[in-house]
Amino acid sequence: MRQLGSIVVLLLVFGAAYYAWMHRPVSPKPWTDDDVVTLRSLWIDSLPMLPTDPSNAVTDDPDAAIMGNRLFFDTRLSADGNVSCATCHQPDLGFTDGLGKGRGIGESGRNTRSIVGVAYSPWLYWDGRRDSLWSQALSPLEDPNEHGSSRMQIVRLVATEATYRDMYRALFGQPPDFSDPARFPVAAAPVADPALASAWAAMSDADRQTVNAVYANIGKAIAAFERTVLPPATRFDAYISAVVHDDKEQQHALFSKNEILGLQLFICAARCTECHNGPLFTNHEFHNTGVLTVPGELPDRGRIDGVREVLGNEFNCRGEYSDHAERRCDELTYVRTGPELLGAMRTPSLRNTSGTGPYMHKGQLATLAEVLQHYNQAPDAMIGHNEAEPLGLTGPQLKRLEAFLHTLATPSAR
Amino acid sequence: MNRLRLFATLLIAVSILAWAPRITLAHGSVTPDADLCVIQIGYFKAHFKVYLPETHQHEDFCEDLPGIGNSVFVMEYEHDGLAQTPIDFRIIENITGQGRFTNLGHIEEIDNLDKITVFHHSAAIQPDVFTVGHEFDKPGKFVGIVSVTRHDGDGLYTAVFPFEAGYTGLGFWPWIIAGLLLLQLNYLWMSGRLGALRNIFVIMLLFTASTFVQAADGPRVPVSRDGHFQLSYTSELQPLVINRIHNWILRIVDTHGEPVTGASISVQGGMPVHDHGLPTAPRVTSGPEPGTYLLKGLRFHMRGHWELEFTIQAGETRDLVIVAVEL
Repeated sequence: MRQLGSIVVLLLVFGAAYYAWMHRPVSPKPWTDDDVVTLRSLWIDSLPMLPTDPSNAVTDDPDAAIMGNRLFFDTRLSADGNVSCATCHQPDLGFTDGLGKGRGIGESGRNTRSIVGVAYSPWLYWDGRRDSLWSQALSPLEDPNEHGSSRMQIVRLVATEATYRDMYRALFGQPPDFSDPARFPVAAAPVADPALASAWAAMSDADRQTVNAVYANIGKAIAAFERTVLPPATRFDAYISAVVHDDKEQQHALFSKNEILGLQLFICAARCTECHNGPLFTNHEFHNTGVLTVPGELPDRGRIDGVREVLGNEFNCRGEYSDHAERRCDELTYVRTGPELLGAMRTPSLRNTSGTGPYMHKGQLATLAEVLQHYNQAPDAMIGHNEAEPLGLTGPQLKRLEAFLHTLATPSAR
Repeated sequence: MNRLRLFATLLIAVSILAWAPRITLAHGSVTPDADLCVIQIGYFKAHFKVYLPETHQHEDFCEDLPGIGNSVFVMEYEHDGLAQTPIDFRIIENITGQGRFTNLGHIEEIDNLDKITVFHHSAAIQPDVFTVGHEFDKPGKFVGIVSVTRHDGDGLYTAVFPFEAGYTGLGFWPWIIAGLLLLQLNYLWMSGRLGALRNIFVIMLLFTASTFVQAADGPRVPVSRDGHFQLSYTSELQPLVINRIHNWILRIVDTHGEPVTGASISVQGGMPVHDHGLPTAPRVTSGPEPGTYLLKGLRFHMRGHWELEFTIQAGETRDLVIVAVEL
């Protein structure tokens, strides 16, 4: 009995010592010059000018942005008249929807990504299956689970409704006449739906091109609007400003000790900036991080399929609807392919990440704590290879990282 | 001393039990190879694993499944041929009565395969990786049948692997034995006879240490060039920053400092520390002046140490230049 007692006491002592060690008070180290370089690179003031999009002639046209704004919120661009782009990209929710997977007419295949600052990315979607904002904007309109509409219906709406027609004319010239039902059926699109596909196939090549050109222009107007959606400065940015100006008092007022410790982990031991770098906290690249599939679904192949799709997409940078005169499409030309893209998904921005859960490409992880736990463990991927490695961080360290991530939240409007 | 012998015996028993699942699974045409399962279909090989994402998350299994419900079967091709060949995947109830020893012969004797088929994925090409999913609604004994068309078009290569779903494994026995072992260890400790076990501990310690030594990766040795060429570069993007696609102008001179013209140059690269390549597939074309070349479509997506490896072929001479870039 005495033996057992001594074992219990020993275990308790070890347990208490372990707990005390894990939760030992830690003080943030002062920022080194190297740290400040890294912090500056994450600062919103380091955000470069918006990259140009030569494939979209109206990309910086304010009138196109106004037309795009109207289209973005217009539920008539859907099969049931209830779905607009803003159904999933809700401004109040950081241009996401708070759901695991997007929900339009039906349930979409993946988690809704925010469109904030998206104009900086050379690729769109989790798997990068589109290479411009305008070509991306076109595909949900015809997805049966999202808007469920068809390009014929969309171009007819824009060409006939008075406000859109005027806006279109001012930007792109007189819209074509789609009134002949023999040439232009009510609904038609090159999609899986057999009725829409056969109506589309029955049209002449020239008429299909006419429809496609108007359809592409509609995407270009939406893109011009989406470009204007940029991330605001956050408490994090105010803190970096204080660091850059060496204002200790402000630093102290803006960040708690835990948030500073979290930021130190973020740029160093937790290796977050290997992918979440730059002022948008993303390298816009594709990585397999071994996220578990949704039960009942096969593992998502991600970028390896996305590359195939974007190269074959009729609305890509090299296609006939691109305004790029020289067709110099560097990202498409030098695109990387290969087995390491299997299961790879595009790194999301971490700006306002605390307001844009659930996380991962199918919304598999509900909270930031789960996400951090996932990266801390870095389990083997179901398909392909998990690029991340286990971090071996302690519970309190993960909490500090989470505290830091909250400082990137979009400040609430007053 | 008798106790010591008993303890050693127990230790060995537990080690065997710990390895037992792998040993007993070495049957059929799925075999464990190091820490991976390998399926052999004719001369094709693939890594084989099964997941139960709902109940066992990231854990993967080699054939026998400890639970039922949604499963995902994954075959990662070791042989490129499989990526271009239609693969037929079928799961049947194991009615052969042969259990773990079921082989292709037994399957061929079955008259109506469709009648006992619980899952069938008709022959289709799956590039990159093969995945199928099936929901097991009850535990039982099954046989997986994987068929690929032979390249000469003359029939099929077929692999057969019997397995159980809802397989409970060894139950609580390993835990009970481990518990007994702990009690025994405690007794030896308390009675002061633990010293006799010193040798066993030393061996275990050495073994553990040796695993760590094997796991440690030595520093990467920089590849020295043979001295045929010198390569210098100017980036069109100044200063070099991450996440921007851009071009470089390369200048190549020979040992006499003369420009090397008409060379064909291929480029690869990445971050050795992170074991990944470049995010783009840059190409080299001839440049504006003799001995200059244009490296197009370069992008770095992380800060840190990058290496670009240029293979230069000029006439009969072939050499390698490694350029290190710090971002």
